[in-house]
Parts: sequence; structure tokens; C-alpha cells
Amino acid sequence: MTRRMKASLVLASFAVAAAAGSAALASPSATPGVTKRTITIGGTFPLTGPAALYGAIPKAEAAYFSYVNAHGGVNGRQIVFKVYDDGYNPANTVPLTKKLVEQDHVFAVYSSLGTAPNLAIRDYLNKRGVPQVLLATGDSYWGSQYKQYPWTFGFNPSYPGESRVYGKFIASKVPQAKIGILVQDDAYGQNYYDGLVQGLGAAKSKIVDVEKYDPTQTDISAQVVKLKAAGANVLVIFALPTQTITALVVTTKIGWKPTTFINNVSESPLFMYLAQKSGANVDGDITSDYLYDYFNNPNSATTKLFKSIVAKYDPSANPLDINIEYAFANAWTLVYALKQAGKDPTRQSFMDALTHLNVTNPFLYAGTKMVTTPTERFPIDQQILAQYQNGVWHPFGHIFSNAR
Amino acid sequence: MRLRRPTAVGAAATLCAAIVVALLPFALSNYHRTTGATVAVYFIAILALDIVTGYTGQISIGHGAFMAIGGYTTAILTHDHGWNDLATLPAAAAAGFAAGVVVGLPALRFRGVYLALTTFAVALAVPQIAKNYSRFTGGTEGLPLPAHSGLWLYEVGWAIAGAMFVAAWLLLRGRTGRAFRAIRDSEVAAASSGVTLAVYKTVAFGISAAMAGVAGSLFVLVNSFVNPDVFGLQLSLYVLIGAVVGGLGSLRGVLVGAAFVELLPIGLTSGSLAPSQAVPVIFGAVVVAVMALLPLGAADLLRTVLQSRADRGQHPDTPLGTEAK
Amino acid sequence: MTERRPTAEWIVPAGLVAVCVLLVVGSLRSALFAQQTVSGLANGGIYASLAVALVLIYRATEVINFAQGALATFATYVAWQLMQWGLSYWAAFACTLAIAFVGGFAVELVAIRPVERRGSVLTVVIAAIGLLILVEGSIGWIWGNDVKFMPTPFPAHIYTVGGVAFSRQDLSTIAISLLAVIVLWGFFRFTKLGLAMRAAAVRPDAARLVGVRVSWMLSLGWGLAAALGAVAGLMAAASPSVLLQPSMMDGILIYAFAAAVVGGLESAFGAVVAALMIGVLLNLVTSYVHFVGPALQLPVAFVVMLVVLLVKPSGLFGRTRVRRV
Repeated sequence: MTRRMKASLVLASFAVAAAAGSAALASPSATPGVTKRTITIGGTFPLTGPAALYGAIPKAEAAYFSYVNAHGGVNGRQIVFKVYDDGYNPANTVPLTKKLVEQDHVFAVYSSLGTAPNLAIRDYLNKRGVPQVLLATGDSYWGSQYKQYPWTFGFNPSYPGESRVYGKFIASKVPQAKIGILVQDDAYGQNYYDGLVQGLGAAKSKIVDVEKYDPTQTDISAQVVKLKAAGANVLVIFALPTQTITALVVTTKIGWKPTTFINNVSESPLFMYLAQKSGANVDGDITSDYLYDYFNNPNSATTKLFKSIVAKYDPSANPLDINIEYAFANAWTLVYALKQAGKDPTRQSFMDALTHLNVTNPFLYAGTKMVTTPTERFPIDQQILAQYQNGVWHPFGHIFSNAR
Repeated sequence: MRLRRPTAVGAAATLCAAIVVALLPFALSNYHRTTGATVAVYFIAILALDIVTGYTGQISIGHGAFMAIGGYTTAILTHDHGWNDLATLPAAAAAGFAAGVVVGLPALRFRGVYLALTTFAVALAVPQIAKNYSRFTGGTEGLPLPAHSGLWLYEVGWAIAGAMFVAAWLLLRGRTGRAFRAIRDSEVAAASSGVTLAVYKTVAFGISAAMAGVAGSLFVLVNSFVNPDVFGLQLSLYVLIGAVVGGLGSLRGVLVGAAFVELLPIGLTSGSLAPSQAVPVIFGAVVVAVMALLPLGAADLLRTVLQSRADRGQHPDTPLGTEAK
Repeated sequence: MTERRPTAEWIVPAGLVAVCVLLVVGSLRSALFAQQTVSGLANGGIYASLAVALVLIYRATEVINFAQGALATFATYVAWQLMQWGLSYWAAFACTLAIAFVGGFAVELVAIRPVERRGSVLTVVIAAIGLLILVEGSIGWIWGNDVKFMPTPFPAHIYTVGGVAFSRQDLSTIAISLLAVIVLWGFFRFTKLGLAMRAAAVRPDAARLVGVRVSWMLSLGWGLAAALGAVAGLMAAASPSVLLQPSMMDGILIYAFAAAVVGGLESAFGAVVAALMIGVLLNLVTSYVHFVGPALQLPVAFVVMLVVLLVKPSGLFGRTRVRRV
């Protein structure tokens, strides 16, 4: 045996020993993620890649948790929030989530972002009894498939619920409607479309054209031009922010001013501002809101609290970015449920807290309440329509319920 | 052109590595076993790429596409037709082989960089096609697959990786391997010494794609999920990086390359926000540094370390890019 | 060795003329067609700037610079930052071109030259991929991953000609992109430095004998390519369908590659023609061909690329290399 080979064998055995050692050190406690002083949660988010603009969400959630930690934490425990970057690629989401559960021993997987990423980890988490909660995605099955996946719990109002509201509004308030729809060509878009058709009821015969686009297409001007050519006077846009902005700009460019509906995902004042600066005429456009109306209540206690937390813990956040507001509402819900889960929370008591909500979330639209039961698992099912005027969304009309 | 004899040192080193790989899972947690299984996936994919690019000289940047074909074959057969997941592997290999031939045939006409970019285009087009025919592929919402323990994935993954390694080694030692290397070094010389270029070049692609297809199947099994984004650009680029870091034209560095692309990015993640932003910066910088310091890959380094004095005078395989213009 | 008969010389010019005639006739008959053609040409202009940058580097070094798009995005962010600090658009534009030039020069010196010295072409390509990951990551690290607003220098003015709305934005983008390419062409054709650079690319050894500092020429080439990329980035960001974020140029880079390949990787003119054609083709296919679902837009572009390469393996205007035995 040469000296080199001896050396290699020694090194190899050291490696094996080290691995064994580290494996032994990671011994879980009774309730994973909960110690006397801390409670650990974590999620996967697209911090890089095409969906990276949603990276603002975990940043803002972390900011809120810092604020809560500075004020005693949750029942005396500090929240430890692990954020992993999956780039919206399920092949990254799965190993990172396994890391959260098996290495970091999180109490719950919190606020993971995206439909496909969450679908990829749903079976794994449910099999292990790990809460998969307050997901940053709005498809309806997060709330409806609870029998099969009891540990999964959504947050966003469902997409079909939202579009149902638009449908009902058009059916009752826009009798001469000729509806043109721009929709993403996948399950995300299909979700919205189905809800709209349900809400329209008999008025669905007024749909004159449906144009689809692929998420990788940023230039959808062709589709918009065709919608105008079909004679539509109502334009419903179920798209991602990039394409929504383009659609709004192109609509104005070709001299068209239909009554326009924009989905909640794309209605951030930031995007409206971008569209407007690029020449879109967006006054009069309609969307639905469920978050607290900071812009029209600049001096309320909630707004002041919101601004102070952001200034202290997330100062680089863009004030026009609605993701921050969303994040606070979501983070508040987590903290509330953790508190309700008791002095010694277990995963089961936590899920029970989430499925028995009956509380006003200060970061949601004033006058709405989060109400859940074990069989009704949509924490947000109240929305209000809002119209864009002079740079601000103005809620109008009454609060729509059961938008689930 | 001299054929290298397997040296005693090389064989012993390979055996050592095999023993470590076989024993390692018993010292690892379930999570780390899954990571080890993913290294096996990259191992097979890099091996596949090495055969067609390192040994035959046909640059393919898009092996993610062949992995996608294998992966979706497994997913569809398991999900829609109830096949046992291991039983789908031969089907994935067959589908991959067919795809490889389909790509390899027109590739006969393309020179070096045009071939590279065409394969790149194929790698980008395949996920889009998967998105479009969502009725079969589940579209962006994807298809779930049966889950397995980390140990199962590790053992199956490395058993297959080991088998493929041995098969590749035997193939490359023999006549086919000689033909591949001849084509890489000089197509004209190869043709004039009786090598039918079209056959061997296409076969190289086919075999490589078949192996990549199997890698894709395993990849999908490791994640128990498939959707078009799983086979996006990142995968093809990582396989390519792994192959070059490992060292093209040699089997020695494949393990190093696979470990590099799988373990480094995950090793750099820490779970806190600000450092997460730095991960791609560090990884990218390391890749550039490795290329500057070890242009011929880890295989070159290993060769110098392991080779006995007698072999040191031997002429190394010509690296890619110095082919006759 | 099979020596292929070069495809007839007249095919390419004739084909291009036919395409132009088709476009003009179509535009005269349908407002939608005209609108799509013009906005397609605008997109094509952006692809063209980036494609010529790719050709520049390829011609000098045979390297496919995967990082070109990321460098262009970085330059665009620099422009944004300058505007945040109070510069007017055109002042920032000019400064950015200068900074991009210096930056490209520096990148070649620091990251590419050490790799080039010791490695093969593929090694440099991998280094470029590492650079891509590094640069895109650093944009997010420095400026954050959120979307930023990039002011457009062109007021939202619309010209109507015969019932067709053309935006000033689109027309200006076409003009600026083509202007940048023409200026570059002029530089190469009419200046001594341009001649030296061309010599260094085609015959580095002979150029050295005449006193040309070949390695400086390469760095200069990277600098110019970076400046061109900056033009592409700025024009892209000015368009409302492209948001300023780190992954901004990812999609555009792909089409720029396709254009460079179809045009013939050694021909900047070919790259421009191909880029414009791809831009128009994509728009027209979306409008008129219905069985092509939205997800298939990218594959369609690549099928076209494949068809062109099958007929002319070196691209439309590429030189068919004769292989010496």
C-alpha cells in the first residue's frame, strides 16, 4: 500500500466519522421547533429568478417578526424565521423543505410561495404531520382539499373567489357588457376564468373573446389588439404583473378605453404606477382588495404602526409595494395562531387555532373578519371592489362575502 | 493514439471511492441521504454528457432536455398507468435513446458551436412543450410521484450510477470508445481509418441521451414531483458546469463534478435573508475561479495525484476546443 | 470525408427579398399585420443589439458569451442608479455606455483572460456561465430583487398612418438599435483600431507580427460588446413590457442567441437581419397561427432556427468553412 493510498483511506474514514458525528448531534426535541426560548418556522421563496419580486414578502414578514420579538415574542418565545431561496423551481423547493423539516427541525413550514412549489411538498409534509400553512398562493384547493391534506392551510382569498366577485359585478352593474378576457394559459389562469364564468351566470354569453398567453411571453400586445378587434368594451385581465402592465399600456396605445378589471395579484400600486408612467390610462380600472386601506387612512393607528415597523425593520422596502402589506397581514395571522396554540404549542394545537379563527386582523380591510372552522378553511373570504383614481385605489360599494 | 491501461493506483482509488459511497448512507441522516441521491443523479447526467462531449467531441449544452424526456416518461407511466417506478427506468432509457438519435441525426450537419446552441435551444424548448401539452404532462401544476425514503433513493441511485459507470468504462475502453475518441480528435482521420461517422456520432448521442433519461427519472423520483420548471435552464447549465469542473474526456472527475454542483449551492444556503442573496455571487465566482485554476477539471488534478511515475510521461487526452478548425 | 456542395448562393438573398415583399404586402392589406410587424421590428432591434454583441465576442474568441444578457442588465441598473442620483436620461445613457465599455474591458481582464490562457474554448464558456450566475446574483445583492421603474426617454406619442397606430417608442428603438450597430460597423470598417481588432480576431499570429497587441484587442472587444449590450438593455427597459429586474434580459438573450446562430455566428449583418426576422415572426405567429399555443412560441422560434440551419448549416450569412485534412 503506498503512502498516498493510506492517506486517502485515513481521510475517508475521517469523513465518515464526521458525518456520523453531525448526524448524532441533530436530535429533535419533543415538539420540533419549540424550545423554552424560541420557536422556529421556515419557508421557501423565490429570492432570485423571474419571480424574485416576491422576495419582498419574506423580507417584510421577517420585519414583522423582528417587531414581535422586540416586544416579548410569542408567549415568551422568540420567533426564528428561516428563509430559503428556491427560485420558484420545485426541484429546489423539495430538498430545501426537507432541509427545513429534517435539519432545521421547524415547527411549521410557513408562507412558502407558489402553486407548483407547494404542490411538490404537500404530500411530504402531510405524511409527516408538519403544518404547511398560510401559503402565499391563491388557488382554491388549498382550502378545499383539507380532508386529504389536513396539515395544509392557505391564506390568500382564492382566485376563483375573487373572479366570481368580478363576474357578479359585471352581471349586475354592466348590462351592455361585451367581455374580452386576457388570461394566462395554465391552471393559474384557468382558476380565474372558471370563477369569472360562475360569477357571470347567464351573462357569460356576453363574453366575446378570450385571449391566452404563456407566462414566458412578455409581449402580449397581439392578444390585446385582437380583444379590441372583437368589439369588447369590458376587459378582464387575469395575468401576472409584467403582462398586466403591458396590457394596460397597449390598451391605451391603441386608443381603447374599456372598463378594465385587474386581478389582485397585479394591482399593486407599484405596478399601476409603472403602467401609468409608461403611458397607460388606468383611471377607472377596477380590482378587489382585502388588505387594510393605508392610503386612504394615513393617520389611523394601524397605518402609523405599519409605517413605524417598516421604517425600523425593513427600511429599503418600496412604500408602493403591496407585497409588504400582504406580508404583514399574513405574519400577524401566524403570530395570532401561535399565541392561540397555547403556552406549550404543539403542531396539532397550532392547526386547531388556525381552523377556529374568529378575529379581526388589523392588517386586513377594516370591517372584515377572519373566520374559519375545520371545514371552512379560507381565512380570507371577504373582499371589496376598488377603483383606481389619481394614483390611489379607492374602495367602493359593500364588502363581498363568501368569495371562496 | 495510445490507449491507457487501467493502472493499479487508479483501480484502487476507484474501489476506495466505491466503498466510501456504499458505506456512507449508514452514517448520514435521511436528509443527507436524499442529497447523496441527488449527487448520484448528477453523476449519471455528467457521465452521459462526458460520453457525447468529452469523448466524442460533440458539444451538447442541453442535456436537461433528455433528462426531461426520461423524467416525464417515468412520471406519466407511474402516475397515469400505475407502473412500478423502477420498472419505468428502461422505458425512460429507451425514450432518451430515441430522443438522442432524433437530435443526433440533424446534428451531423452542424459544426461545433452551432450544435451547442441547437442543443441549448432544445433544452429550452422541451419544458415549453411540456407546458403546452398539459393534458399529458400535468402542465405547470405537475404530477406527483410515489415517495421513497432517503435510503431507498440513495441505494437505488448509486446502484444505477455504479452500473452505468462500469458500463461506460467498458464501452469507452473498447472499439466504440476508440471510435469516439478518434472522431473527437479528427473527424477526417477517423473517417479515413474506417469509422462511419454518421453511425458512431448518432450512437454516441443516443447512448448519452439514454443515460441522461435515466438520470431524469431518478431526479423525478428523488423529488417525488415533476413539472416543466424542474427541467429548466438551471439543470442543463449545472450538468455542463459539473462535467467541465469534473474534467471532460475522463471518467476520473465525474464524482467531483457531481458533488460540486449539488453540494456547493446547498452548502452555501444558510436560511437567513441577506446571505441568501450572496449565494449565487459566491457560486458564480467559485466557478470562474475553478476554471482559471483547473482548466482541465478535477480529472487533471486527480491524474497528477494518482498517477505513478511510469505513467507521467503519457500524453493526456486532448481537451476539447483544440480540434482542427 | 463527405464534402458538401455549398447551397446555391442566390437562395438567401432571394428568400430575404421574398420575406420583405410578404411583409410589405401584408402590412398594406391589414392594420393588425402592420402593427405587429412594426412592434416585431422593435423587439427585433433589441435582439439585434444583443446578438451583435454575441457575434463580436464569438468572432474574436470563439466563445459563446452566456453572460452577455446579465452584463447588459447590470449596465441598465447602473443607468437607473445614475438617474436616481439626478442625471438626465441621455446623460445617464452616455455615461452608462462608457461605464459598460470599461466594465466589459475589466471583466475580460480579470475573469476571462486567466481562464483563456490555460483552458480550452469550453472552459471559457463555463467561466462565462459562472459569470452569468455571479452578475445576476450581484444585481439582486446590490439593488434588491424588487421591480424598479425605468424612465423612458420617448414620450408616449403615437403616430397614425392609414389607420395603423405606431408608437414613437417602437420606431425610436428600431432607430437607436440600428444606429448602434451601424456605428460599430463603421468603426470596424474605417478606423485603424477597428482594423487591428479584426486582424487580431481572424489571424492573431500574423497580427502580432505586425505589432498588434492581440490580448488588448480582445479586451477591447469585450468592452464594445458590453456597450452594445447596454444599448440593448436600455432599449428593453424603456419598453413597458419589460420590467427592470435582475432577470430582465433572460428571455431576450435566448432570442438573441437564436438570431446570432441563424444569421451566422461570424456575421454581424446576419445577426441583425435574423434578429429582425425573429422579432416579426414571433409577433405574426402569435397573431395568426392558432394551433400554436402560447407556450409553443419559443419552440416555434427554434424550429425556424433548426430549419434554417439544416438548409444552411453555417447560418444565413456564415462562412462555410472548408476543412483541411
